Amino acid sequence: MRRYLLQRLGQALLVLLAAYTVAFVLLQALPGDAVLIKFLGSEMGLTADQIAELRIAYGADAPVWEQYLHTLGRFLAGEFGYSIRAGVPVASLLAENIRPTLVLAGLALAAASLLAVALAVLSQLGFGWVRAVVRSMPPFFVAVPVFWLGIMLIQVFSFQLGLISVIAPEPWEELVLPVLTLAVPISAPLAQLLIRNLDAILNEPFVAVARAKGATHAWVLWRHAARNALPPTLTMAGVLFGELLGGAVVTETVFGLGGLGGLTQQAVANQDVAVLQAIVVLSAAAFVAISLAMDLLLPLIDPRLATRPAGAA
Amino acid sequence: MTTTRRHILAAPALLPVLAALGAREAAAQASPVRGGTLIYLEQQTYTNLYPPAGGFYPNGGVLNQITDKLTYQNPQTLEIEPWIAESWTVNADATEYVFRLRPGVTFSDGTPLDAEAVARNFDTYGLGNRELRHPVSEVITNYQRSEVIDPLTVRFLFHRPSPGFLQGTSVIGSGLVSPRTLALPFDQLGDATKIIGSGPFVVARQVLGRELVLNARRDYAWGPKNHPHQGRALLDSIRIIVSGEDSVRIGALLAGQAHVIRQIQAYDEERVRSRGFQIFAPSTRGVNNSIVFRPDNPLVADIRVRQALRFATNTQEIVDTLFSPNYPRATSIIASTAQGYVNLADRLIYDPRRAVELLEEAGWTLGPRGVRQKDGQELVLTAYESLPQPRNKETLQLVAQQWARIGVRLNVLAGDSGSRVVDNLDPAKTPVSPAMVGRADPDVIRSQYHPLTRNALLQTGGVSQRVRSFHDARLNDLLDAIASEPNREKRLALVGDVQRYILDQAYVIPIFEEPQVFAAAPRVRGLGFEAVGRPSFYGTWLAAR
Repeated sequence: MRRYLLQRLGQALLVLLAAYTVAFVLLQALPGDAVLIKFLGSEMGLTADQIAELRIAYGADAPVWEQYLHTLGRFLAGEFGYSIRAGVPVASLLAENIRPTLVLAGLALAAASLLAVALAVLSQLGFGWVRAVVRSMPPFFVAVPVFWLGIMLIQVFSFQLGLISVIAPEPWEELVLPVLTLAVPISAPLAQLLIRNLDAILNEPFVAVARAKGATHAWVLWRHAARNALPPTLTMAGVLFGELLGGAVVTETVFGLGGLGGLTQQAVANQDVAVLQAIVVLSAAAFVAISLAMDLLLPLIDPRLATRPAGAA
Repeated sequence: MTTTRRHILAAPALLPVLAALGAREAAAQASPVRGGTLIYLEQQTYTNLYPPAGGFYPNGGVLNQITDKLTYQNPQTLEIEPWIAESWTVNADATEYVFRLRPGVTFSDGTPLDAEAVARNFDTYGLGNRELRHPVSEVITNYQRSEVIDPLTVRFLFHRPSPGFLQGTSVIGSGLVSPRTLALPFDQLGDATKIIGSGPFVVARQVLGRELVLNARRDYAWGPKNHPHQGRALLDSIRIIVSGEDSVRIGALLAGQAHVIRQIQAYDEERVRSRGFQIFAPSTRGVNNSIVFRPDNPLVADIRVRQALRFATNTQEIVDTLFSPNYPRATSIIASTAQGYVNLADRLIYDPRRAVELLEEAGWTLGPRGVRQKDGQELVLTAYESLPQPRNKETLQLVAQQWARIGVRLNVLAGDSGSRVVDNLDPAKTPVSPAMVGRADPDVIRSQYHPLTRNALLQTGGVSQRVRSFHDARLNDLLDAIASEPNREKRLALVGDVQRYILDQAYVIPIFEEPQVFAAAPRVRGLGFEAVGRPSFYGTWLAAR
């Protein structure tokens, strides 16, 4: 087990270095750079000489490999540097944005899971037309644009009914609408997968055997089908969570929330290298950690999977 | 389309005036109330708060509340009046300025705002600081050095005449900050809590990218001498909250969740006004929202082509279809509220037939695809949309339709910021470009067109390495003369000359006078704006509901 973990850790470090390097190369490939965008594209109206001076001060014209080694070296020493666009340390930007992102992504995933399980159960237990309606929900949820949904929820619950304040909300009300907005599209693939797996498993011979022994529908669903349908869904939930960490830009913008999504978008738009590198490495680390957690968690649910890593160790 | 049009035409131009009168009357009746928290919604978050970076509107909106300026430019008359400086003298050729400061002013960290501090501020803004990477301020030219004469008297010396300096001391970009702030590197000045000013409000709390809370300074007693309000600010605090989505800002205002919002699209104005809310559209008083040519590009090097495109641009149609009466059609390269403005509307007429004649004369004949060509080359131009300008993409697309009618194609690109910045330096890639800049001093024209500054026309000798030969010495001489003519009448005459010259050369197609549009709840009173349209909450108060 320990060897397995060490192996995974080594892989993780390689992934992080690769992510760092790829992000660096991609940003270099874009035309322009952060210094040009900040000082030339801005409202400051600097002269040619002043811009040339700033470019030297920021090392913006140094050879690419030198910039790469320089930033990598500082990164390894734990110095994330400063955001050229925002004029604050990258560490403060991260600190300010990680918490809201984690809270929003966590709650949205939890809400989406509840919704998905509810849909899946209804799809098996409900009556004729209910089942049909429930089964058409996931495609519908996926089709609803997040942007539109967010605005509609705000219009109805905040501006029309006045139930929730969107501007300067109390802590409890701040996340209600954003979580709902994100949960709807996220629940769709989960529900879809769960329903399809349940359908397949309920047609397996062992289910027929259980039924023949006198098991109720609910018992079969809970004891047999659910345990088999859950692992793939969990894997997918892990992937979705990873996506949510950086992918809630629209929700963040509509609701005026802070978060890594908006920060990433700004960093890319302004080629704010230091910020983007930190986010990329952080997200890569999160992905690695989540997939490791999933690999360690799945054997607990499905004992058949336990043999593989144990065998490798 | 038709409904929008009727809508705008039906709205009498008098309406905003009446609304403003009504608001003023109401304000006169009730006496100001002290206290309360005002919620102000911004479209974007502030970035770096180094005062000379205050041209970015979200930055200016913050800096204008927390810093004071040496002088005050009266937003009505544009005259320069006392503020932190009680009085001043300027020598005959505008190379020496002496300011006498008001006693007893302190920064919010307790440091005195004295001659030493003022000298330190302008040394930084005038010369920059290489070590700390502080850039030079755009509004200060020819700066040499400062001299502290006594604790309340400071002298500034210039290499060459600098008549724009007095107005330059009144702008947001010259906001006075504590020496402690100026000791920090540029890269740390995006943290609002580190910007220590002497203004009526002080930064209390920030959530980066989301919210900034300002509290009134209780001991503030040094507002501009002629400001209608004196003493501490009336509000207790201001919450500046970022809300990027237009419909959310307006909805929140109408639902009573916010008091003042910035940036309202022209098509939303009527909805806000019809509910009894106030619209404010202060002019930015500078170089108009325009399309500029880059004559270095052979396609637009011929003056007849540029003239033709100007004749083919129906600015009235642009203003009527896309904007509101708050966006007056341009009648010169600068706004009619700008200093030295000359009405040149007779040179800005729409005449598509004349446009076609000029193009034919220049040898551009209609090709098989409906696009004019000459020597096998098609007349196809490209421009990037400018994100900070209101409805710029729609404006350029409408211009493209108008130009298509005379056989010229205009491609409008969005692009990423990097490509936009790099391509906008290359006349071969961007023969035309949208442009505007606000500042209430004639120096603004030089800022916009001189090769050493913003270089909107892309001449040689500027920041772009891609320009091959375009250089207009006559224009640059005129621009330099404006920046260094100490005699006010002569200076304004030069401003008239340069407006005529730029239009005669058809370097620019001015479209409209750009305002900054704000909306406020009916109970918001005393909302002020500085000379180029950034809000001032110093005299603002909230009437009882």
